[in-house]
Amino acid sequence: MNRRALAFAGLFVLLLPVAAFAQPTGITRSRLPNGFTVVVRENPAAPVVGYSLLVKMGTRTETPDDAGISNMLQIMLVRGTEKMSGEEIVAAADRMGGTIDAYGDEDYSEITATALSRNWQSMLELVGDVALRPTVPEGTLTGVRNFLVRQIRNRGEKPFDVAGDRMRAALFGNHPYAWDPIGRRESVEQLTRDTLLAYYRRQYVPGQMVLAVSGDVKTADVMAHVRRIFGAMPAANVETTPRPAPPPMAATREVFTVPGAQAQIFMAGLAPPFTHPDYAALKVMTAILGGGMASRFFSDLRDKQALAYSARGQYVAHIDTSSFVAMLGTAPNNAQKAEAALKEQLARIQNEPASEEEVAVARSYVVGSQAMDRRTNARQAWYLAAAELAGVGYEFFDVYAANVKKVTRADVQRVARQYLGVMRTVVVQPP
Amino acid sequence: MRFLWVTVLAAAIGCATVSVGEKSPSLRPTVEVLANGLTLIVQEHRASDIVAVYLWVATGVRYESAATLGHAHFQEHMLFKGTEKFGPGYIDRAVEGTGGRSNAFTTFDYTTFQIQVPTEAIGTALDLLDDMAFRSKFDPREIAAEREVIFEESRIETDTPKSAIVRQLYGMVFAGYPYGRPLLGTPATMNAATQDNLKAFNRRFYTPENMSLVVVGPAEAKTVRPLVDRTFGQRPRTNYTRPSVPSLAPITDIVRRTVERPEQQAYLALGWQAPRLADRDSLAVDLVATILAGSESSRLARTLRDNERIVSRVTMNNATLQLSGIVYIQAQLEASDVDLVERRILEEITRLQQAGPTDEERELAITRAESDHAFAYETSDGVASAYGIAYTTATLDDELDYLVRLRTITSEQIRDAARKYLPVTAYARIAFVPGPRK
Repeated sequence: MNRRALAFAGLFVLLLPVAAFAQPTGITRSRLPNGFTVVVRENPAAPVVGYSLLVKMGTRTETPDDAGISNMLQIMLVRGTEKMSGEEIVAAADRMGGTIDAYGDEDYSEITATALSRNWQSMLELVGDVALRPTVPEGTLTGVRNFLVRQIRNRGEKPFDVAGDRMRAALFGNHPYAWDPIGRRESVEQLTRDTLLAYYRRQYVPGQMVLAVSGDVKTADVMAHVRRIFGAMPAANVETTPRPAPPPMAATREVFTVPGAQAQIFMAGLAPPFTHPDYAALKVMTAILGGGMASRFFSDLRDKQALAYSARGQYVAHIDTSSFVAMLGTAPNNAQKAEAALKEQLARIQNEPASEEEVAVARSYVVGSQAMDRRTNARQAWYLAAAELAGVGYEFFDVYAANVKKVTRADVQRVARQYLGVMRTVVVQPP
Repeated sequence: MRFLWVTVLAAAIGCATVSVGEKSPSLRPTVEVLANGLTLIVQEHRASDIVAVYLWVATGVRYESAATLGHAHFQEHMLFKGTEKFGPGYIDRAVEGTGGRSNAFTTFDYTTFQIQVPTEAIGTALDLLDDMAFRSKFDPREIAAEREVIFEESRIETDTPKSAIVRQLYGMVFAGYPYGRPLLGTPATMNAATQDNLKAFNRRFYTPENMSLVVVGPAEAKTVRPLVDRTFGQRPRTNYTRPSVPSLAPITDIVRRTVERPEQQAYLALGWQAPRLADRDSLAVDLVATILAGSESSRLARTLRDNERIVSRVTMNNATLQLSGIVYIQAQLEASDVDLVERRILEEITRLQQAGPTDEERELAITRAESDHAFAYETSDGVASAYGIAYTTATLDDELDYLVRLRTITSEQIRDAARKYLPVTAYARIAFVPGPRK
């Protein structure tokens, strides 16, 4: 794993050869004296620009009592600053032919923005304003809180979301990955303006922030303005409290009742973080089982047995211990058969090695997924910022692609045995 | 649609907001018609090393009969289920083995098969599409299995209120017209699909004269053409003629429907018939939609969502189809506010009809269209979709000149379009409200 520590200040320019792009791509990374990191990628292909401002704050920095605070704070950032009301922020973004939005995730929180490139500087100012001068207006807060509580209620009525939430809770126990970034009703209902602002002051420190800008811009201009806007933030430290470990894996099975036309069947186990040496092999295994339309879930469970319209495997790796989830939606009267078939799939990949062709297709699929996902400037900005924030450097994704290409049949079987041996099951079905 | 079901409606209906275009000196496609009638559209686009190879067939729900409802979509699924050359699953392995992706959609006016691959695999993509279109097997065992998959697709839609409400609104706005039919068919018509009638459907509609191929990426027409000549170029012309177009009865009254659903979240949708893409009025209706609820700072977002807080989400779309269009407003709200929100929406429409938009609103709506265009054209697949939809449902020029023409629309024309196309005394309205708790 390429663990590049960003321990030194200064500007260094790198020309990164990214295989998926025909044109040479200029990427520049810089760390300001206060610890704030900025990455700029010049891409003149279209007259647009994407921004991603990431902060190391998310469910991972929450407790059961303030679950959802990161996401709620992010939403409030774009609802009012010392200079502008929420309505003015939205209208300003519209005038720039752009968008600005913010949300919280597991390991990070993002302010994401786009603009026509002729307005790149105005949008950078706006991103800086919402990040640095939020007021968390009391009047809007009530509306946002009610909105979030209703969203949480709505999740409880969607069979797919219920299955996901119940599975998280079972897998992660007291670790904060146990709840969705939207939070829990009891905690969100009690979050006040003071709590949000205190949390903001604790988390929004320059050493915990990365801004990436990708698009039709000039690096030197962007750098100059970023230094002016973000360079004045005072440096500070964030105290991190250790997070409780997830409970040891056990073969549990829970059934829940939610009205709907489909039954949802989820099977999941704990899986390593993205910095782990098994990351690439487990990604390839996930693709073989339930990646694209060449995957086993799609070809066996859907095409051959017609047990589902969608059946997927998902391994989203985080900074801490993460999870592999197999999920399938099916007609309620097929649920029993589908559960047995899914279980059979998870056993087979452990018991017999995948074919050479399957592994080759899956390797290409995993590498291709990233190339496909990175085509827009907004996604490019996110990739650059996410790797920098995680401390692995933006080169990580190229090293990862190279590692994926080296995964063998033996690797796939080994990680399948290691991580799929004991699984939890959650079934959500209509009454 | 095959895989990304979440976006079933948004993509299937081809919102005008995504299919905008601009006369840009750097983007001008090469259009060639082959001897057998197939149209080849090639656009050089060098933002990434991925090429979009999209096949468009002018077949879809509107070409079905009452007995074959859902068969255009069934056909789309079956083309991935084995050809004379390739077994079931081969196409997916071949595409994903290059690092690429494939998908397909059926709408009212067309079915499209979309392959995205690294540039060196253009030939592979064309081979696959050619074989799928002209030499699919329609194995009866595969038909039986795939039918169950489509029934699952239908259950997913039922469980997704945002898709279900728009589909039902189409049924009301286009009552008795092909655009009001269920895309996925009915259990009876789906059970009636056989190898013979699916093959007959294929022979009738999958002909070169009824197809276009759109290739967008780092490739030039002169290198793509020979690859097409030795695949699609080999298929004979069949002298296909398009069926005649039925006439559409206007909405003359307010038609309301309320549906009880298991979820507590309520949904409301209001819809009107609108001009088709080729009609100049459709541009003014696009701007009406943006000004009322097509952006974050639109009138309904500011009034109903931000100030009065009686909706949590409100959007408006002008979807242009080949024979007509549909302009509709969708809101997410609490069940107790359904009547209030309907009344408030009508008041805001009336206000626009009386005073028209401000100059700033008109400017903003045009900027929004420029921005949608610029972001859609960021990727080769965005361009391929825009070209294919325009060519199949109107003309390519409607797409290429879109922004230039949009800038000529005046505030008065926007006001007049609101008066003409959004009468507050004749529209369809549907609400999803919570049913009795079980």
